[in-house]
Amino acid sequence: MQTAESRAGHTPLLEARGLSKDYGDTRALDSLDLTIAPGEVYCLLGPNGAGKTTTINLFLGFVAPSGGQALVSGLDVATHDRETKQRLAYIPEQVMLYRNLSGLENLEYFAALGGRGSVGRERLTEILVEAGLERDSVDRRVSEYSKGMRQKVGIAIAIAKEADALLLDEPTSGLDPKASNEFSALVERLRKRDVAVLMATHDLFRAKDTGTRVGIMRYGRLVTELSTDEIGHADLERIYLEHMHD
Amino acid sequence: MTARTVLRNEWRLLMADRALRIVLGLFAALLVYALANGVVWLRFQERTVEAVESGNGERTSALQQELDAIANGGQPSSPFADPRSPLVLGGPSGSHTAALEPGSLTALAVGQSDLLPYYYDVNIYTNESSFQQNGEVENPLNLMVGRFDLAFVVVYLLPLLVLALSFNVLSEEREQGTLALTLSQPVSARSVVAAKLAFRAFLVVGMVLAMSLLGVLATGGFDSPGRVLLWCAAVVTYSLFWFVLAAWVNTLRRSSAWNATVLVGAWLVLVVVLPAAINIAAGLLHPLPSRVEMITAQRDASNDAVNRRSELLARYLEDHPEMAEGVVADEPGLGALAWAATDAVNRRLEEVTSEHDARRADQIVLVRRYRFLSPALLAQDVLIDAAGTGDARFAHFQSQVRAFAEQWREFFVPAILADEQMTASVLPNVPKFRLADEEPGDATRRAAVPLTVLGGLVLLVGMGAGVGLGRVRGAD
Repeated sequence: MQTAESRAGHTPLLEARGLSKDYGDTRALDSLDLTIAPGEVYCLLGPNGAGKTTTINLFLGFVAPSGGQALVSGLDVATHDRETKQRLAYIPEQVMLYRNLSGLENLEYFAALGGRGSVGRERLTEILVEAGLERDSVDRRVSEYSKGMRQKVGIAIAIAKEADALLLDEPTSGLDPKASNEFSALVERLRKRDVAVLMATHDLFRAKDTGTRVGIMRYGRLVTELSTDEIGHADLERIYLEHMHD
Repeated sequence: MTARTVLRNEWRLLMADRALRIVLGLFAALLVYALANGVVWLRFQERTVEAVESGNGERTSALQQELDAIANGGQPSSPFADPRSPLVLGGPSGSHTAALEPGSLTALAVGQSDLLPYYYDVNIYTNESSFQQNGEVENPLNLMVGRFDLAFVVVYLLPLLVLALSFNVLSEEREQGTLALTLSQPVSARSVVAAKLAFRAFLVVGMVLAMSLLGVLATGGFDSPGRVLLWCAAVVTYSLFWFVLAAWVNTLRRSSAWNATVLVGAWLVLVVVLPAAINIAAGLLHPLPSRVEMITAQRDASNDAVNRRSELLARYLEDHPEMAEGVVADEPGLGALAWAATDAVNRRLEEVTSEHDARRADQIVLVRRYRFLSPALLAQDVLIDAAGTGDARFAHFQSQVRAFAEQWREFFVPAILADEQMTASVLPNVPKFRLADEEPGDATRRAAVPLTVLGGLVLLVGMGAGVGLGRVRGAD
């Protein structure tokens, strides 16, 4: 199989080397090997409990690996927590923000925490608009936002941070088709800026549409990897179901 | 950078939260009320001390005038209050009132100053029972619960505000889902929580210290900078204890509701139950002798002494041989006999009061030993001591009054026994009370241990919180 490194000709931004995670007697992730180069969108597919979120949590350093390494730009997450997080942006399934603050204030806060405190309010407003938020919504309290609007603030946080890699944990779950489509367009825009994207999703259509590669996981193992250029929507669904029935 | 960012965000969250603003406003109002209450009490004490001191001067000049008038052939205003008699001049009519100036920070902490006497009328009849009485009548409810002063607000209410602001400092982030997004940034939970707590501490402690310094400024307490520093140190350390306790409870990864329950429980135990239990234990283990018993003993001794005055005088002279030769007339006068009776009563009272004092000392020892169980008791101890309204300063004052009373007796008793006639010329030589207040470092020395223990608790719980926060990850 052609690796991302060889395909893109870059050092992988995200790399898992024999990455494993046990919760007690349960092996949530089993010796995952994975590389994602700049400009790649890697979609992890699989049922609940397949290890998708665990993989993302390991790259974020939210949980410690039981074995192997999670590397960001060649740096081990376990020993370079701060440096690796500077290069990462994360959008969870539900982007939860400070409800009493506006979208702009939330962005200001998280951008500053991400090390982009010098970005002015005007630029941040532009970023929110770029992320798809209406200009007249940026100063409204987040408590008035829909889930789609909060996801857009999440994207704006990632854009403002100018992260090298983006970790998305089922980001379109619960979004209406239009919002999902807008979200995919934003991810595509980031991909074109050479951002490496790792997206965990249940949405086969979105994975085929947005991803450059797809990995199917089951019981903590990566059972197959596919290039989205080489398969159609129907193929992906068939292959996915085949693996689920084994 | 993280700290500044979090501080700014916390400020925005505060400004956006009406309920929180109301709570802080209410606390500020309570601080103002507490300070006003303390200032009212301070002014009352100042007026009393001023009146007492001018009373001393007025009594002396009235006696001077009367003695001058008598020397010029006049008659005493009353045959029973002839100022020429040392029993009268050294007795209640000519007494000197010894007063304790209010502590420099009394406006901040009324402390024991409404409970313990801060002035005594000293005369030849001053005895141990005099030290057991407070000349003022105060609302017993005030005495029982203490006045609503800044020390009360600090010890009892400040922890509640700290807990209200901090019980969910981390759990809320987890519950509302912002923790994951926060910790996906290159920051640690420790630095974020520390900055959030620093903001709250800055608000709460800042308000208390600002009000304290305002009170000190308004009442001239800056004459004792050491005491002001001690007060501030106690406020900061005690507040920090509650902040780090809240932080530590937050690291246990339970819900905000659970945190609130545990922290309020801790407040109840440490601030209310333990101090009350220690006081009750002190009362049960070392009960004070009944005051009725003391008064009965005083009456019995008086009756007995009146009946045996001659015998008592002989015994007195046996005990005081320096008075025997040439001082007492061969036929002792009424004054000498009366004094012998008075002295016998005093001795009997000393037996009763010494037991009372010993029990009280035992109670204090017990409370001092077990105060280390409660940060509230430690803080209260330091705050009151810093204010100059604690036990120690009163004991220091009382010991000087005892010495002064002894000096007073030594001046008048020989004249009483010798049945001498006093003239105006003795007035300048009559002893005057001069208070030697505590040294500036005395309160600091006493506060060193409780403050160190309190600081140790802060470090201990803070370290626990720090370790716990170090384990917090976004996926919690």
